[in-house]
Amino acid sequence: MKTVDIVYNTKKKKGETQYGKLFNDGKVRKRREWRGLKDTLYDFSRWLYLWGVVIDVTMSKGAIKGLFRYRWMSNYLAVPHAMDKFTMGMRDETLRITHTAMDFVVKDVAKCIKETLRGDRRCGNDVEFSNKCVLSDENAMTVFMMGFPMLKAILREIPTMFSANIMTQQSTMHYLDVAQRFGIPGDVCPMPEAEAGISIEDDFSVLGKCAVQVNTTCDGSLMGNGLIAKRLEREYGIPTFQLAAPMRHESPDVLDYAAEDMKACIKWVEEQMGVKWDWDAYFECIKRVNATTRMRWSWLEVNSTPYPQFYGAVFSLFNDTDYMGNCGRSADFPPIEKKINDLIIKGYKNKTMQAPEYRHRCIVWGVQPQYCIDQLYWMINCWGVIPLTDMLSMVVDKQFCEENKPENYEQAYKDMAYLNMNMIMRNKTHGGYEVLVDELWEHVERMNADMVMMWEHMSCKALNGLHGQFEDQARERGIHIVWVNHDLCDPRVFTRQQIRDEFSTYMRTVMREEPLDPTIEFLPDEHAW
Amino acid sequence: MRDLKHLQYFEDLLQEANNELIVKAKSEGKVCAAFLCENTPEPLMNLGGTFGVRLFAPNTGSMDIATYYMTSLLCENSRALLERAIEGGFNFADCLVAPDGCTMINRCAENMELLHTMDGGKDNFFYENMEIALKGDENGVKLMRLQCVNHILNPLHEKYGIDISDKAIRAAVKEHNEICEIIMALSEFRKEEKPRITGYEFAVFTLATYVCPKYLIKKKLQETLKEVAKREPDDKPYRARVVVVGSEIDDVNLIKLIEDCGAYVAADRFCFGAFPGRLPIPMNDEEDALTQVARHYVMMSQCPRYMDMPKVYGRKQYVADLAKEYDVDGIIYQQVNFCDPWAYEKLLGSTMLQDDYGYPVLAVNRPYNIASSVGQMRTRVQAFVESIEIKKIQGGAK
Repeated sequence: MKTVDIVYNTKKKKGETQYGKLFNDGKVRKRREWRGLKDTLYDFSRWLYLWGVVIDVTMSKGAIKGLFRYRWMSNYLAVPHAMDKFTMGMRDETLRITHTAMDFVVKDVAKCIKETLRGDRRCGNDVEFSNKCVLSDENAMTVFMMGFPMLKAILREIPTMFSANIMTQQSTMHYLDVAQRFGIPGDVCPMPEAEAGISIEDDFSVLGKCAVQVNTTCDGSLMGNGLIAKRLEREYGIPTFQLAAPMRHESPDVLDYAAEDMKACIKWVEEQMGVKWDWDAYFECIKRVNATTRMRWSWLEVNSTPYPQFYGAVFSLFNDTDYMGNCGRSADFPPIEKKINDLIIKGYKNKTMQAPEYRHRCIVWGVQPQYCIDQLYWMINCWGVIPLTDMLSMVVDKQFCEENKPENYEQAYKDMAYLNMNMIMRNKTHGGYEVLVDELWEHVERMNADMVMMWEHMSCKALNGLHGQFEDQARERGIHIVWVNHDLCDPRVFTRQQIRDEFSTYMRTVMREEPLDPTIEFLPDEHAW
Repeated sequence: MRDLKHLQYFEDLLQEANNELIVKAKSEGKVCAAFLCENTPEPLMNLGGTFGVRLFAPNTGSMDIATYYMTSLLCENSRALLERAIEGGFNFADCLVAPDGCTMINRCAENMELLHTMDGGKDNFFYENMEIALKGDENGVKLMRLQCVNHILNPLHEKYGIDISDKAIRAAVKEHNEICEIIMALSEFRKEEKPRITGYEFAVFTLATYVCPKYLIKKKLQETLKEVAKREPDDKPYRARVVVVGSEIDDVNLIKLIEDCGAYVAADRFCFGAFPGRLPIPMNDEEDALTQVARHYVMMSQCPRYMDMPKVYGRKQYVADLAKEYDVDGIIYQQVNFCDPWAYEKLLGSTMLQDDYGYPVLAVNRPYNIASSVGQMRTRVQAFVESIEIKKIQGGAK
């Protein structure tokens, strides 16, 4: 089997080093982590900042009504606690990288909530604002909005379902029950299923002049759209457009089809909203997308060294927000990316590490569970396994045409189509085994990993369909592959502790190792948010 | 009713994928073009020198090896097919064309390829994955046409020297339409108040047209059509007429089970069924044959993969139209276990057909091989038939 050298942390860690004492069986932790004076103060100031964000949202138009109208709204009271999931054991640059990225993600989601409730017919009911809004799926690359700076893309499923489940693990259970009572089986992916449940229960905000749906990420998502669109069109009079993203996105013979539909989508939005596509705005956006890609690759290069800096769930959540929800449309992202980049370089130079030692270098593949979002940080603190990158962060790696000339417009449609097809996660789970299996081994090689942590999202048919291939090929290549089961956003199927147990069992029985911090091997967080 | 002369013969053909007619066609030097999924334009697999066979796995028992490769949560249809391929049950195939119609069939085909299940010792064997349109529009027709060229026609020509000219495609469509017309003519008898053909018999003949070389069954189908036309129907009334809708049914015993419960399967809207799979392809001389075939498959498809709202609403309208045309009392929406597309389609379809069109609907999951769950399914169908009867007695609305 492949092995790597253990990397030891030469710096003495300030503050506490055993984190199990922070947990009891409550909703939140017993107390905040002591990280030494400087880092504790920094961390506490960010905690206060997040409370500020929560208060800001609560004071915004329609928010109080929304809090009483929508079941999902109350999950956001757990925001400041949720942030602690990402920072356990962090000091110095890694702590600041995580806060810089994640606090910005929180701010972005907060903005989405505020806008959603402001335009919501049942809450803020700002008709003028609502008429500037185009509803979009949470799993859409919002490329079709890049040339519409005068409009707002509202990803209403983000606050309702996606981020709510990161805040509190129980947030989707009710909606899953609703969907299943209605007849959807329990074996489909719980994310589109929960979204269908929200629609069935009429618990989505109602706003916008039109909606664009995409068939990313999967069959479940595609099929759930029909159900949601029926309600939007027939009950709320919001017309919908279904934007097609072919499955085999790396085949050149699908690109024209996808580009044509992108063109049709943009034309449709123009007609519905009475505005004109702005090529200047588009090319500004695509420049930012290209810059983001270059930046991300340099971060991955750092992660290929013995001293990775930006990793774990926050790495993927930041990429998620940056590429999908933003897609180059906001000028607020580049300064944040630069700030993160500076911290990464500094951390690398200072050889900053989160744990006393990094024993294994790990590629994380598959889809992470929303309700156990801190697993990768736990792996570092408990077992010294450093996640170099994850499947969700391996977004597009090509550069797109940036020159604003009429002769480049056809290419631009193709670029938009390519981006749309290559939505995060979907660019690996669909498009053939080449992108899901073969590419994994390339990353293992490139980043010098000796281990793959495979999230086995039990309802993800695209991933499960190649389960045996992963097993066989990992064995042939001498790579440790640790399977960890979960059900994405339903903690009743696999609890957080079951998830940790699966990893620990492998580390003890196959790797014959003992934990770095035994106090967190078992955590009483079954009832925690 | 008197037994049909060729029924037993057709039933026997359905007992294994590698049936005697495939063996015969292969011995005549023909190339076997195997395919998965109803979205594959079938006539293109039946060009001169080739014969198309849609893969199925009759009498499936254990799926252990396929479950190792794809886990127990993938649809049983895809696992059964992979298991059969690993067992060598599809070694007769000379190529495999698999549309990326749904994720699970795609993974099934990819595992078949990676495990070299069918290509051993065959230099010209090819595996091809096709992209299928997601919307019923001309853009989709263009895509379908291109995919057919790149993933069916060119490989067949390059590997096996098959004639892929417009003339050859027209000849294949003609043969395809002849078979379809026989099936449609048989289907007409299902509209009768006292039908001269049972739903089970119809399913047997229809399934055979998918899994056997067409040119070898045409004669017997024609004889069967003549025989049915003269057949005396039973006097015994059926308790309820139903249309069966949903995912792939390549196990005719499911239809038999439904009819054993007193229902009559008057119409079928499932993959491997007659609607829309056995509707003749209308052809004209103005446009090239391939584009017309592509348009037929894109526009007529009732696959839930098509996601635009005209298709989404249209699928329910299609079922409602069938229900009206065949004068049914109720609709059975069925879904093979772990099928994602039909899980959602079953929900929306069963709700809309009930709420918007006023039909009683049974929505039910089923295993790939119905033999593994006869009791459960029988209970569900019996209860459904009884509920329809009670409504009739009470004079309730449809």
